[in-house]
Amino acid sequence: MKDMYILGIESSCDETSVSIVKNGTEEVATVISSQIDIHKDYGGVVPEIASRHHVKNITIVLEECLNQANMSMNDIDAIAITYGPGLIGSLLIGLEAAKTLSFIYNKPLIPVHHIAGHIYANSLVKELNFPLLALVVSGGHTEIIEMTKHYQFNKLGGTLDDAIGECYDKVARVINLEYPGGPKLDKMAVIGNKTYKLPIPLKDESYNFSFSGLKSAVINLAHNEEQRGKELNKEDLAASFQSVAIESIIAKVKKAIVDKNIKNVIVAGGVAANNGLRQAMKELTEELHVELSIPPMKYCTDNATMIAAAGYYAYLDGRRADLTLNSKSQDKLI
Amino acid sequence: MRILYIDTSSSYLYAGIVENERLLCEVKKEFGHSLSEEALPEISKLFTQSNLAPKDIEKIIVVDGPGSFTGIRIGITIAKVYAWSLNIPITSISALEAMNISNTSQTIRVPIIDARRGYVFGAAYSVDNQVIVEPCHIKLTDLLAKLSTNEYTVITNDEFEIENNIEAYEPNILKIVSYYKNKKSMNPHLVNPKYLKLTEAEENKLL
Repeated sequence: MKDMYILGIESSCDETSVSIVKNGTEEVATVISSQIDIHKDYGGVVPEIASRHHVKNITIVLEECLNQANMSMNDIDAIAITYGPGLIGSLLIGLEAAKTLSFIYNKPLIPVHHIAGHIYANSLVKELNFPLLALVVSGGHTEIIEMTKHYQFNKLGGTLDDAIGECYDKVARVINLEYPGGPKLDKMAVIGNKTYKLPIPLKDESYNFSFSGLKSAVINLAHNEEQRGKELNKEDLAASFQSVAIESIIAKVKKAIVDKNIKNVIVAGGVAANNGLRQAMKELTEELHVELSIPPMKYCTDNATMIAAAGYYAYLDGRRADLTLNSKSQDKLI
Repeated sequence: MRILYIDTSSSYLYAGIVENERLLCEVKKEFGHSLSEEALPEISKLFTQSNLAPKDIEKIIVVDGPGSFTGIRIGITIAKVYAWSLNIPITSISALEAMNISNTSQTIRVPIIDARRGYVFGAAYSVDNQVIVEPCHIKLTDLLAKLSTNEYTVITNDEFEIENNIEAYEPNILKIVSYYKNKKSMNPHLVNPKYLKLTEAEENKLL
């Protein structure tokens, strides 16, 4: 088969990104325009502001990516687009850009689910080995997905309320860490000791998670300590929180690996950068003798490289969209 | 010269292709929430109807606001990606300018769009299309107070309680394109929405 170059576009949250990937595995060029410094002033992503920046950035990012690849649109075989889930106003910019290019150049349009992108970030590093278990952890997602072959997703479980990354950011706010506080909390946890007692969330036989109870427990704890006039040990709180949060994830992943006879475990999404989680996953997979893949940091956060990579496998699976494709803020991965 | 016109700033899609002072085809359709789903399919139909290819367009005129924030972004994204990728000259105009040019009344013309909470996006133009009040986000009463006469026509498709002459906006795409066809082209990267209003988060920060 002839080489296939896919142009991926991702704009589901606060990153405008365009990438060109060859045959689903080889990154040719990627450009990411991040708005993190803009939203920092507001303590989180403001959807309308994010949308306003996407529309300003989109053609600049497209041009920069093609320039870096030294390619023109005529060299592109298909366009892969994140259609959802995410912030609807943000998604729409990437979507309209992708549809316009598909219309003008008469190239196939491939709809890609954002989570499929996070999973396929791993195919840029090494071949996926089935049956596979993907743990997707980010500011918007906490999901366990089983895959028995390419582009076949079976969601085993997910969070019933807050996503893990969201919970990290909210707990970080309790101890006055600047947004995004999750990664800072992870660093503090290394220094602290597990002295505070917090409940392990959702200890049951399902593959689901729940983090809102844990978040409330941290808020109450901070409040109670303050009322008693005691100073909160932030490092210890970080360590206590992290230990419980990760323990709950590991328990569910362990159950899924055993139940589904998994060969390869993938960690994907922004929280895959968390040191505590990486260490715990390493120990678990060694204990159970399964292969562990964690993509390099640059593929963990939102990027179009993973969308172009997933787009290749979606293309092989026969997935196509026409110009009526719409963005979806919520959509099941199937 | 073949010109593509796109306006998605309201709940309607207005688009058309004009060739040498002749309207080849147009679409005027109310969409509401499915604008993102139907805008490009409708625009692509214009090309089928006129038997043209995307590269046959020699200039794009796009409405850059004011109006629905999401709506404006849809039209602007389509137009700027189109112009950038095929290197086609592009220029943008205000929805209020389009409303003014389409109207034929022989008075001062005051196009307005409801911006809620007593505010409008509005402007005022003389009979010979000179700007009296630049497009702005303003209280309707303040806008009308800026006019030194009671002789004016309000142009709108929104509901307002005004005693003066009100006329509905019915875009005349041929007239709009003919009037703005020679407007200076812009770098497509710099064709961006003109919301005329900060986001709520930015406004609250300024308080």
